[in-house]
Amino acid sequence: MAGFLDNVHWPEFECIDWGERRNTVASVISGILFFTGWWIIIDAAVCYTDQKDLNHAFYTCGVFSTLAFFMINAVSNAHIQEDIYGEGCLGKIGARLWLFIGFLIMFGSLIAAIWILFQAYIVPGNPVYPGLSVFFQNLFIFFSTLMYKFGRTEDLWG
Amino acid sequence: MAGIKALVGLSFSGALGLTFLLLGCALEQFGVYWPLFVLIFYVLSPLPHFIASRCSDNTDSSSNACRELAHFLTTGIVVSAFGLPIILARKEVVKWGACGLVMAGNGVIFLTILGFFLIFGGGDDFSWEQWFPRSIDGTCGW
Repeated sequence: MAGFLDNVHWPEFECIDWGERRNTVASVISGILFFTGWWIIIDAAVCYTDQKDLNHAFYTCGVFSTLAFFMINAVSNAHIQEDIYGEGCLGKIGARLWLFIGFLIMFGSLIAAIWILFQAYIVPGNPVYPGLSVFFQNLFIFFSTLMYKFGRTEDLWG
Repeated sequence: MAGIKALVGLSFSGALGLTFLLLGCALEQFGVYWPLFVLIFYVLSPLPHFIASRCSDNTDSSSNACRELAHFLTTGIVVSAFGLPIILARKEVVKWGACGLVMAGNGVIFLTILGFFLIFGGGDDFSWEQWFPRSIDGTCGW
């Protein structure tokens, strides 16, 4: 029973040669997701200007998500796995700590956005669009981070 | 020189895109000129690519982190150029018809810019040195 799905594979798409274009495609998709998230919150901010509808404190989730995006993508995979000698104030352990804190902030913002959606919009029965926009902003930024971090391969950097 | 025909074709499509944008502003039933702000995004969109190709001249590797960041930022600028008219239309600052025309103009202009880069390769024989001189040690001074 333990390996019964081992021989199941996705159908092969041989017409698409990912090869050299993988990093470009991953960057583009990541960019689309990231900026779509921000335009969603801009839209909500423009349509719901009253603090009673969309409390200005809720914007901090998106800000911290963005900070986490830059923290996570500031360290390359090579920095964490191999020994980088010399330059930079972060060694291998420092880089891992940086990445860890970055992911903490990212997950924290996502959880906060979900919490806000439920606590401030769904449970009291208010119109739910502003809460959904905060949630989707953070969700999109989260997926954008994952795509930018893991969708690119450093083998192509030569 | 990669061809006069390509150049003329790209000029035509560029003019067509700008026509769509201006129609979205200037037609009688629309009449407001707020959509012209997407011109900022048109101007900004090639910049990340220029900065990345300027700062990483080693073309041995097929891509590097700088170039990928440039792709990320360029995509963001393109998304923003589509997002702005939608928000203007949702807020009833411009009408949805104008928004549609502006987005059609966006599409044509960005395809033109893309075509420019694909066909003319960002300017192979363009001499960067006269515009952005390098420092003595060969860096960009970042």
